[in-house]
Amino acid sequence: MIPLLFAAALSLGEQAIQAPTTIPEMWGAWCARCHADDGSGKVAEPTIKVIPMDLRDCRWTTAEPDADWERAIAKGGPGVGLSSEMPGFEDSLTLSQIAGFVSHMRGLCKETGWPSGNNNFPRPIITEKAFPENEFALLPAVSHETEPSSAPATDFSLVAVFERRLGRRAMYEVAVPFYNWDFHSSRDAEIGDVAVAFKYAAFSSATTPGIVSFGLETTLPTGQLYKGFGKGTVVFEPFVAAGTMLGRWYVQTSGKMELPIDTLVNRVYLYNLYVGRGSSAALNSWTLGVELNGENHKLWITPQVRKELTGTGALAASLGASIPVKYRGEKVVSWVGYLVWEFLEPLRARR
Amino acid sequence: MGRLFGLGILGAIACAALATTAHAQAGSITGTVTTTAKGLALVRVTIDQKVCGNELPDHAIVVDGQGRLANAVVVLTGVKPFDSQALAQGKRLATDVTIVNDKCAFAPRVQIVRPNANVKATSKDPVLHTTHAQTDSGRTLFNVALPIPGLTITKPIGTAGNVRLVCNTHPWMRGWMVVTDDAAAISAADGRFALDNIPPGTYELRIWHELLKSAPRKITVTAGKPTDISVQMK
Repeated sequence: MIPLLFAAALSLGEQAIQAPTTIPEMWGAWCARCHADDGSGKVAEPTIKVIPMDLRDCRWTTAEPDADWERAIAKGGPGVGLSSEMPGFEDSLTLSQIAGFVSHMRGLCKETGWPSGNNNFPRPIITEKAFPENEFALLPAVSHETEPSSAPATDFSLVAVFERRLGRRAMYEVAVPFYNWDFHSSRDAEIGDVAVAFKYAAFSSATTPGIVSFGLETTLPTGQLYKGFGKGTVVFEPFVAAGTMLGRWYVQTSGKMELPIDTLVNRVYLYNLYVGRGSSAALNSWTLGVELNGENHKLWITPQVRKELTGTGALAASLGASIPVKYRGEKVVSWVGYLVWEFLEPLRARR
Repeated sequence: MGRLFGLGILGAIACAALATTAHAQAGSITGTVTTTAKGLALVRVTIDQKVCGNELPDHAIVVDGQGRLANAVVVLTGVKPFDSQALAQGKRLATDVTIVNDKCAFAPRVQIVRPNANVKATSKDPVLHTTHAQTDSGRTLFNVALPIPGLTITKPIGTAGNVRLVCNTHPWMRGWMVVTDDAAAISAADGRFALDNIPPGTYELRIWHELLKSAPRKITVTAGKPTDISVQMK
């Protein structure tokens, strides 16, 4: 049970096997058995059934935080929802050795410029996430109207979002909203304004958590203006998103301007701040958070809870309540949330 | 308080007396496990030959020239092993067991483990071994890395039935743990086994082997008289 550092030559009959003492030597003696010296996972004599991911591929080695990789080494594959053929090293390595292996593994990606996975924070419901992702998300919302002049009505919306990374730092996104609203005492279900966006991580610290991304979203007038499903004009929406950690707290913020081509349509300024914290280092843990969401002079507070649904963290759901603080219009509370799928990551371990 | 203590002492004495009586009235089962199966060919070692050698015996079937089979586990269903100390304390003892990675083989190959016992995994080899414990259904109980000799890692076995041990860096390595609280014994190199301190009665006897099969059978145990049987596995 005692983590060991050792430097002895282990005698074996007439031959002697030099015990590895440095992280690269340990990698070569132990990890390379399955992962290969270069991290490719291609070895001459495979001894396991599930071939490891190619750790030279920067998409894999940069995208997740150190804590996830450290957990994989300490607890083995099952600790992160992956193959049980990867053993746990928590009883045989020190924490600093485990951190050293993570650093070594990160170094197998030979390209520079990839944003550090330490800046990949849990996605808030409304605040734009700065880290580029490969995700498919469904964002439902339910709000209950209590307009004095008419009967109470419940409105539903669902936004389907597809996000795909481009190169090392960029990402594009397509968002299609669907609405099911009460419209003059009858229900109406239609598509809203489709949006396409481009995001670029301009700054990402590899040492202390910190990321800043800029982007431009363009909303197309595909939704009907007179029913309130669209703005009836093309809208350019430049935005900025940033994130960091303060202690164990995730802090994320985003700001966006809606600049319609039609000058008769009002400009809108959106600003968001999210603060949250995970319940444990496990990938399927809970994250509690709260957002402040502003739109011009209106302000909402959105407490929320997020839960990763699989051991790998590839599927996650969030639920929150958007409560007006400064603006008390006819819509009192909106229930909001998401179901998000990181589609390049395995949902569960292969056997 | 003093009265309670006195009652506790009396209870312990009563239990011990009961145990002694049970011991005197117990019977036993002895026997020999045989097979017509032959031992397996040597395993060709493809990695770590400096430590493991170029070939290793495959101990999946250990049989001598007379067909006597080792490493068969004989289980008397429903009979709990007699343990006076545990009986006096009103509980069963789950004795820890050790599994050693030695010259690229698990030692012992087969062992009986009591439910909720701890397994101490260790290694004598200067190469990375893993001790990966899986249930019959393939569920992983634990998989620990043993990168250096002398390190011992302790993990609970729980209440799983038959547990298979594999090493993910040396795929020929196999070990087995039969987790049971029934009376059980492992056949030795000469195929012999013995189950002592069995209360008289008729029981079901099951024999487990990692590759060979044998149908369960009924067996009657008589007080003070050993019951000798012969079991053939196919």
